Amino acid sequence: MEKIDIVKQEALNAIEQCSTLEELNQIRVTYLGKKGPIQSLMSLMKGLSAEEKPAFGAEVNACKQAVAAVLEEKKTELEEKALLERLVKEKIDVTLPAAPIKTGTLHPLTLVAQEMEDLFISMGYTIGEGPEVELDLYNFERANIPQDHPARDMQDTFYINPEVLLRTHTTAIQMRELEKAGGKLPVKVICPGKVYRRDDDDATHSHQFMQCEGLVVAENITLADLKGTLSYMADRMFGKGREIRFRPSYFQFTEPSVEVDVSCHMCGGKGCPVCKGTGWIEVLGGGMVHPNVLEMAGFDSKKCSGFAFGVGVERVAMLKYGVDDIRNFYINDARFLKMFDRFD
Amino acid sequence: MRCSINWLKKYVNLDGVTPEELAEKLTRAGLEVEGIEKVAEGTNLVIGEVLTCVEHPDSDHLHVTTVNVGDEVLNIVCGAPNVAAGQKVIVSKVGAKLAGGFEIKPAKVRGVESNGMICSLSELGVDKKWQTEEQLSGIYVFEEDAPVGETNVLEYLGLDDTILDIGLTPNRADCNAMWNLAVEVAAVLHREVSLPAYEGASKCGAPTSFKLASKTEKCPVFVGKVVNHVKVGPSPKWMQNVLHSYGIKSINNVVDISNYVMIETGQPLHYYDLSKLPHHEITVVDDVDMTMQALDGIDYEIKKGDLLITTGGVPTGIAGIMGGEESKIDEQTTSIFIEAAAFNAVSIRNTSRRLGLATEAASHFIKGLEPLSQMKAVDRSVQLLKELAEADGFEENVQVGVIDESVKTVTETLTHCNTLLGTDFAMEDVLKILTELNLNPVQDGDSFTCTIPSYRTDLNIREDIDEEIIRMLGYEGLKKTLPTMEATVGELTPIQKARRTVRTALSGMGLSEAVTYTLVSKAAIDHEVMSFGSAVELASPMSEERRYVRTSLMPKLMECLAYNAAHKNENINLFEISAVYAQDKVQERVGLVLSGSLQNSKLHGVNITSDFYTLKGVLESLLKQLGITANRLNYKENTMDVKNFHPYRSACIYLGKELLGMMGEVHPALVKQLGLPKGAVVAEFRLDLLMNVKLTKVKFKPIAKYPSVKRDIALVVKSEVKASELSAVISKAGKALVKNIEVFDVYEGEHVEKGFKSVALSILYQADDHTLTEQEITTVHTNILSALEKQCNAVLRG
Repeated sequence: MEKIDIVKQEALNAIEQCSTLEELNQIRVTYLGKKGPIQSLMSLMKGLSAEEKPAFGAEVNACKQAVAAVLEEKKTELEEKALLERLVKEKIDVTLPAAPIKTGTLHPLTLVAQEMEDLFISMGYTIGEGPEVELDLYNFERANIPQDHPARDMQDTFYINPEVLLRTHTTAIQMRELEKAGGKLPVKVICPGKVYRRDDDDATHSHQFMQCEGLVVAENITLADLKGTLSYMADRMFGKGREIRFRPSYFQFTEPSVEVDVSCHMCGGKGCPVCKGTGWIEVLGGGMVHPNVLEMAGFDSKKCSGFAFGVGVERVAMLKYGVDDIRNFYINDARFLKMFDRFD
Repeated sequence: MRCSINWLKKYVNLDGVTPEELAEKLTRAGLEVEGIEKVAEGTNLVIGEVLTCVEHPDSDHLHVTTVNVGDEVLNIVCGAPNVAAGQKVIVSKVGAKLAGGFEIKPAKVRGVESNGMICSLSELGVDKKWQTEEQLSGIYVFEEDAPVGETNVLEYLGLDDTILDIGLTPNRADCNAMWNLAVEVAAVLHREVSLPAYEGASKCGAPTSFKLASKTEKCPVFVGKVVNHVKVGPSPKWMQNVLHSYGIKSINNVVDISNYVMIETGQPLHYYDLSKLPHHEITVVDDVDMTMQALDGIDYEIKKGDLLITTGGVPTGIAGIMGGEESKIDEQTTSIFIEAAAFNAVSIRNTSRRLGLATEAASHFIKGLEPLSQMKAVDRSVQLLKELAEADGFEENVQVGVIDESVKTVTETLTHCNTLLGTDFAMEDVLKILTELNLNPVQDGDSFTCTIPSYRTDLNIREDIDEEIIRMLGYEGLKKTLPTMEATVGELTPIQKARRTVRTALSGMGLSEAVTYTLVSKAAIDHEVMSFGSAVELASPMSEERRYVRTSLMPKLMECLAYNAAHKNENINLFEISAVYAQDKVQERVGLVLSGSLQNSKLHGVNITSDFYTLKGVLESLLKQLGITANRLNYKENTMDVKNFHPYRSACIYLGKELLGMMGEVHPALVKQLGLPKGAVVAEFRLDLLMNVKLTKVKFKPIAKYPSVKRDIALVVKSEVKASELSAVISKAGKALVKNIEVFDVYEGEHVEKGFKSVALSILYQADDHTLTEQEITTVHTNILSALEKQCNAVLRG
């Protein structure tokens, strides 16, 4: 029996002193192998009486299990240690620059137009479209702007021939949408698009720019409805809590017509350089659809009414992002484009 | 429209109303005041008399003066060259504030004490264009009788005025007439307006022999009057000041009256020196080609269509724009002929523009006149000529055409008004403001009928009246509501959805969206990609750079690339979505330009080069997201456009039989010419085409349950054999068992015979219903190899 204890102690000492997994494996082979000292204890059984044998056998087995258990414990310990050492070696500099996952950006005019589209889609509008090479009919005649009206002087036009031109406003799309509706109510449409005017390009003028117009025609549409609708739009485009102010204006296709000011998003209306100290920024135009426009498109102006509004997409983008020169939108300098990585 | 507050005060009591308050009220009512301008500025001013003036002991240009300002004598150092003893001058005393915030403080000028300043008009902020040479060159000197000690200096000078600069909307051209503006001002202030009584003043005079005719419908009305006696002289100071405030230089009483009446009534007038008209006859024509000298001494080319005033068949004025030199009023004039005509706005606009003659008269015609303005102007002319130019010897009016004296009425109901506006205005308030606007409303129950004055040509329908009501009662109280109606569905159309997919997909892959100009030069049309008709050309372009509507996106996108390259911006990867136009045709296209790399990092060993194959990958990934899987695309070598593309590194992409797009490297010659980054690749394809084809639907397929086996082969084939041909043969020979073919190496060089290349492919075998046996794989693989050998002369590389 003492012999067992001696062997066991020897094995445990060896395990204790072992420091690598290789050594430990050697110990396992040495002590627990078929020719190892524990197994060879079994040969001592021969000299024992039948009564002693079972107890001795059990004792050897217990010794074997105890050694195996300690071995396993030590193995786990050494493995953990080895892992820790490896991890230390794998240390990286977390401040090194990232691998590139470059994404592109959407054009700021797209960001603004899509935001408007999404707002109006959520209110049940569809998005109207039409050709940029447009008929005089839809651009002027249907919009209640007859041939020699002074308004045609205000909107100097790129004509292709007397009947065809580059559209000067997205009102042309609205006129097509009205015609398409064929007198059927309601019409609820928003019309974004490029438009063209004979302007010399400078910081605030561009011969090409983007407009977005909206149109609702149904029974009992009121000017107050326009104010409510635009109030939602102002909140969405410039941040919650914007105020809306109407001022009288003149457009041929609406009567009454209004200019729409939005309380300044930079100063909240207190007055700052962006709003030139007034607290208000002129952003939109709109009004109640002129009865002539409704009638020309086949609607009975006595049975329905409508509102329309229009906004310059560049104007919104310039105000919102503080862009100081409209030409930036068309140069496509990579340094400019990459600033607009979200609508914000 | 420039509006003098002093002038307004003649018609409306402005007591207690500051120009700023008035400006705010007018703006709220739709007459937007864009600027408030003081004619002159200065506090603590006094008229002084220069008692002594000697040269400064320590300066070669300064003077030391003593100036009597009534209650004291000031010592003032003055730098003006024209200062002299005995002059009556403008003195700004210590503490004065002048134009631009300049403040007068006691000072020592080179050792001499100076308590104040003798002023020029410029120092009071008077615009240079209203000053004479003499006034500009030094201090202002009063007439001898100027009262020393007078402190209301600006008023004494007639410069104590404020000008409102009003931006009128086209419908309110009537407010270019001061009288009509005065009515508006009175209405916004809820005060009385008192305009001069002048009606019928021209109903006087002896029978006339003057003959008037119009040979064109562009001059429907012409009222004229002979005045056989006038006395030309300076016009009164008040009239000069008024014209001055309006931006018109005073000439003499007669000419000034014509301008003054134009501003009052809006009707441009022309007064001729009667003695210089060779015939007592005027005819308006529009069918002459000639050169004529106008009042400004310059020769102008007159063309058919221009309205012209002739007398005895000889032109004497460009109608509505400028009179002729010969019949100009001067100091010797003793008799005149008054012209008040209606000339067609469009015709005047065209002529005025072409000749570059934007006169005040032309501007009034262009903006439009009211029907009664000719008669009003002649009446008022007669009245003022009598008062200020001793006019006498009148002959009766001569007239061409009929003045429209019909009276318009518009009826509206309070219910409709409130329904349209979403308001709850009361009848009482509505009637009050309509009365103040001179619209003479007469109530009948819920409705009211307005009698529209002649000058309000903008008021024709009930909605026009509604606008008058709300602009005067104010938009402030308007509620915010949303339209009430049956619910509608808001949604994107397929093409609108496709555009968004393009944007999301491409920006996700690292491309940024560009927006470029639609109008392009001839060169851009010459470099179009996928021509589909001749370009739409502008009738009158502003420049050659912008003469055509673009037929393809590529030229402008390449321009963007060149711009960025020139600005040292690297790795430029852009796309644009836009419609392009040809005669009677439109296509919607997507353009892509790639340069440098899409993703790269030396540090991390990443480099996705922006080359042909990256572009192809971008396109295929995008098209897949649009519902066109790569196997539906057919790439053919490009033989149709070798001007824009590298002829051997470009492809035409077909979808079925239709040309979907083109892609490839930019032709090296073009790269050099435009200054593009080397190896730039571009693609352009038709988004509209995808709307007409069946898109591949997303469909579930059970995930493969049985293992797959991969076999790699390296084939030696002739150099011209395409990878796609090999793949096609493999797919066909391997049938359903071939799940994927990957080309992983292409090699040409040392170890391969000249004219041949080695292509390494990896073939993935898999069955849907069982695990493939070694036997099965060997059979199909052998079949594939023999098919490759037969059809492509492909030899398995040892």
